[in-house]
Amino acid sequence: MSFNPLAERGIPLAKQLRSWSELNVEPYRTEDVHPYTRCRVIVMNGIEVESIMFSHQFARNTPDVELKQRLALVRRIEQQQQKAVNWLLPGEKQENAVEITIGYEQVAVDLTAWLARNEPDPYLRQCYEFGLLEDFDHLYRYANLMDLMGNGRRAREITGDYTEITPGRPTIFEHRDPRDDLRRPMTKVAAHRQSILNAMTLVSSEQQTMNYYMNFGNRPTEPLARALYLEIAEIEEQHVTHYESLLDPEQGWATNWLQHENHECWLYWSFMQTEVDPRIRAIWELHLNMEIEHLQIAARFVEESEGVDPASLIAPYDRAMTFEENKTYLRQLVEWQVDLTAWDSEFLPVDQLPEGHRYFDYQATVNRGGAPSEEVIRQHRERFGEEYRLETDGPHPVVSLREEDGGAKLGYERNMRAKHPQGAAQTIDAEPTPALAI
Amino acid sequence: MMSYTNSNQDAGGLKQFVNKVGDAVGGMMGTASAATMGATNAETFVASAGAGDLYEIAAARIALQKAQRADVRTHAEMMIEHHTTSAHQLRSALRSTEVTSASPGLSVPTTPDTRRQTLLDHLAEAPADAFDDTYLDQQKLAHQETLTLLDGYGRHGDNPQLASYARGGAPMVQRHLRMIETMRG
Ligand SMILES: [Fe+2]
Ligand SMILES: [Fe+2]
Ligand SMILES: [Fe+2]
Ligand SMILES: [Fe+2]
Repeated sequence: MSFNPLAERGIPLAKQLRSWSELNVEPYRTEDVHPYTRCRVIVMNGIEVESIMFSHQFARNTPDVELKQRLALVRRIEQQQQKAVNWLLPGEKQENAVEITIGYEQVAVDLTAWLARNEPDPYLRQCYEFGLLEDFDHLYRYANLMDLMGNGRRAREITGDYTEITPGRPTIFEHRDPRDDLRRPMTKVAAHRQSILNAMTLVSSEQQTMNYYMNFGNRPTEPLARALYLEIAEIEEQHVTHYESLLDPEQGWATNWLQHENHECWLYWSFMQTEVDPRIRAIWELHLNMEIEHLQIAARFVEESEGVDPASLIAPYDRAMTFEENKTYLRQLVEWQVDLTAWDSEFLPVDQLPEGHRYFDYQATVNRGGAPSEEVIRQHRERFGEEYRLETDGPHPVVSLREEDGGAKLGYERNMRAKHPQGAAQTIDAEPTPALAI
Repeated sequence: MMSYTNSNQDAGGLKQFVNKVGDAVGGMMGTASAATMGATNAETFVASAGAGDLYEIAAARIALQKAQRADVRTHAEMMIEHHTTSAHQLRSALRSTEVTSASPGLSVPTTPDTRRQTLLDHLAEAPADAFDDTYLDQQKLAHQETLTLLDGYGRHGDNPQLASYARGGAPMVQRHLRMIETMRG
């Protein structure tokens, strides 16, 4: 069951280059794609994008010409892989960009939940759970937006019944001072090898989400849609800051390259085992065989440049990342942790923040005039008489977040009122100015 | 010059002088032990680094009440922010299995040690017109001690996670030290 990519033989790099027609893969059919196949495609695209951007940064930071050649050779293949993966998504007429957005947030929920449940380190697990509840809420906000935009398909037709769509930590309260997104990093020496894979996976996928929203978010015409994308794009910036601060900042460029290739191998290996679509499974398998070669090229470079045995830096895989339901786990998390916020690298219930904490100032500034993530729910209730929710396993575990309750009595709101009355007046109680139309 | 018929003020002056010598000796003792003991041992390191942050925050709070110079006040505000971050980072480090597997039950101190408490007492007692100098003198010694501790542990520490924490904090402490030296003129 365990898989050691250093002991495998991959496809020689010179044989990896493909033609345009090979890369221009047939997209999946939106009518019958498995929601988790869409998730795997979205994740792998983000992983390839990160491997490409990392390689560019590495090349820009070394004078070593022959190393630049090696990086360029591997990077061109990574680019081809990225095309072959991302071109599996069907075009706008079959699956539009808002529907893809629902897919992105389903990834953020079920990927992060799996990684948190399989994280051996309690501090890192807490970090993942913290981010998870925020993306969980995004899914619900975008699902409501999709209806308001007059989209024919509703969120459930994208996610299936695998993921509930209901409030997490309300997006309006996720906005916090940038310093409070910085966590304590792990070390390459002492960290569990699974922890490194987990963190790299989250950095890549959150970064892809950030890039997607920051670029796609201005394509809709409706002011409310544009507003919601930009608000959530800013949270994805927070998430990238949060997850990247977990990685060892001292591991060095060569080791970092090795870790990138290793993490690509791990995910292709995982998806090859869990993919239900045989045609797409063949792509995961082909790419795994390419990545094994990339990994060995990076491993050779680590040996040559640092005299370090690459086998001391990575370990064989024994757990395949699996997209699966996480509903029970998520319900518990929402119940226990919805009130958490961050202060530097620590997490605490918001009512334990001291009066005058920078969190309240940040809140009062960005939420002045109201938050699009609240407005989207308000307008949905106004237009359709209810919110869009998909609660398959019973009413929301937090009473104040149930639909019929209406007014949130969360710790966040209580504290905003108690500790920053002026901020509360400008945010929670404010009329949106100007009202954002759909 | 002290006379036998000293006024209360003179007695205060003497006490200040004695306190100042005491602070300097305390500071030197701290630096010596930071360079030796705490430099490699996780338990000693955490006790000393944790107490250092507690001292910095408490000293800065006193400074916010007593400092005369505006730049000293600004410095104190920054010390509270930066050393709170440092304390949070240390607490987070102690939660990770990288530390708990090697040193189970290790925790940060909740009160400053006796030596640092004495320094704080001296600050609280310092007369208004001598406060800024006393605070800046202590700041120099305290930051020198912390820098020695972080540098030593960052290089030779027995726990990789705590050594990474030490290297993560040392540049900031170095910058603080330079600022303090500029302020002392
Ligand atoms: Fe790749
Ligand atoms: Fe999100
Ligand atoms: Fe996110
Ligand atoms: Fe690769």
